[in-house]
Amino acid sequence: MKTHLKRIRRDKYLYLMLLPGVLFMLLFRYLPMGGLIIAFKDFSLRKGIWKSAWAGMENFTFIFTQNPDFYQIVKNTLEINLLKLLFSFPMPIVLALMINEVRGVRLKKWIQTSVYLPYFVSWVVFGGIVIQFLSPGTGIVNRLIQAFGGSSIPFLQEERYFKGIVVVTDIWKGAGWGTILYLSALTGIDPEIYEAAKIDGAGRLKTIWHISIPGISDTIVVLLLLQIGAMMDVGFEQIYVLCKPILYSVGDVISTYVYRVGIGNAQFSMTAAVGLFQSAVGLTLIVICNRICRTFFDKSLW
Amino acid sequence: MRKRKKISLSYMGIVMALLLFSFLCILPFWYVFISSISDPLKLRTGDVRLFPNGFSMQSYRIVLKERRFYRGLLVTLIRTVAGTGLGLFIQSMTAYVLSRKSFGGRGFFSRMVVFTILFNGGIIPNYLIMQQLHLLDTIWALILPMVFNPWNVMLLVSFFAAVPDSIEESAKLDGANDLVIFFRLAAPLSKPALMTILLYISVRHWNELMDGVIYINMDRLKPLQVYLIELIMRSSVQNMVEPSENFVTALSIQTTVIFVSCLPILTLYPFVQRFFVKGIMAGGVKG
Repeated sequence: MKTHLKRIRRDKYLYLMLLPGVLFMLLFRYLPMGGLIIAFKDFSLRKGIWKSAWAGMENFTFIFTQNPDFYQIVKNTLEINLLKLLFSFPMPIVLALMINEVRGVRLKKWIQTSVYLPYFVSWVVFGGIVIQFLSPGTGIVNRLIQAFGGSSIPFLQEERYFKGIVVVTDIWKGAGWGTILYLSALTGIDPEIYEAAKIDGAGRLKTIWHISIPGISDTIVVLLLLQIGAMMDVGFEQIYVLCKPILYSVGDVISTYVYRVGIGNAQFSMTAAVGLFQSAVGLTLIVICNRICRTFFDKSLW
Repeated sequence: MRKRKKISLSYMGIVMALLLFSFLCILPFWYVFISSISDPLKLRTGDVRLFPNGFSMQSYRIVLKERRFYRGLLVTLIRTVAGTGLGLFIQSMTAYVLSRKSFGGRGFFSRMVVFTILFNGGIIPNYLIMQQLHLLDTIWALILPMVFNPWNVMLLVSFFAAVPDSIEESAKLDGANDLVIFFRLAAPLSKPALMTILLYISVRHWNELMDGVIYINMDRLKPLQVYLIELIMRSSVQNMVEPSENFVTALSIQTTVIFVSCLPILTLYPFVQRFFVKGIMAGGVKG
């Protein structure tokens, strides 16, 4: 006990420096976690979070048994994320492996600079451009289709294209920047290993397969785990920008639904229950996958 | 003398594919630029492709007269400057403390930070907390929630961990306390890393849409991104254009506003992008 106090005393300036950060973390990260109790309450704005009456599991029974929207948004969320896992996730890996093959330093720099760029503009700006590209009649994409003899397609008004558009624009905006962690791992590989492989007569594919990919496998695992942890979470902004009300049946995801119904229609408790379900499933997924990774591949996040 | 290596077919293929993707990544920005300066009528009929068609600054004149645009810009500027200053200050202090191996609370507080990455309260509790704190419809709603960011803190921890212990020890022998060591030694030594985080935070603030949508109702406080999305989605262009100017089409005004609002990023990006890269490269290796 005494040594404890002594250490705290010794570290008093460190604690002082830590204080504001911890305060903000408690206020804006942990307090909202506590606020999740309204998922078990019948929240009324007048009574506030603490004084509202308890409702037990009522909100959960409601979303699971009487709210068909719930299954729709969970299905949309999972479908979009599965597609992203299948197509968006491998793209930065492929791109990074390709960039790693480029020999000219300036060419490499130029390519990197341009592929990172879309990441740094907002979804509003990028989505706004996508909307213009895809607009029927005047958009560049439909102009191309028409030039090849096809007829104009109203991309953002038809349900069957929406999920594809979400994945493609996700790759377009994010795949370039996504390469950065892989490239940083690739620069850590000793160039002599590549030299040795070359002398042994290994071709391009062989060196990529036997040297580059093993060199980034740790990074792949970490990012894969994080991606799986975000399985229940489709970014709000991309959907909010691209998804018009006529596309809600395919494009409405948990975050946009919670915002619209929860705050828009003041159904706080019900949507907080949806949010808690989302966060809890996300946490469970990442914990389970982390354990699997640790047992089978000896790699883990923590 | 330089030896000319034979360029293989597979190498050509890789470079061509990468150049194509680079082109696709630049294309959107080029396209909004040429659209914004093209003749609005040509734009409306879809006759603008890869190069400007006709020339008109009419839409710029309208946009730059628009009060709501300036208000959005001002709100975004304020939140970006204040949010970045506050965020960098607090995140770097937090990270420095968590990077000190001798610090007793290191394990506990680090776990506390990581847990906020794995689990969060979500939209509704966040909204209600903001309401309880009476922060809705204030500029603080756009600044305070973003002050603490666990990802940045973890990244900074790995930078500060690289500051050699010997520097700290010798400063302590000279009688310096931890505050002095941080502000006089560790922070100046980690300038490139702090620069990286500074840029991250400011780009996030500039581009952030969601908090403006959720926390701000008052027109006066709507940040640029919210103004933009209202312009793009709800086509609130009509009330910007007077009947005498109606040859300037909505499309032309939208492209102009989009272009103007990403201009700061486009102009600064070439100069600062090495910081983004350097920062991640140095921090990312250790995961």
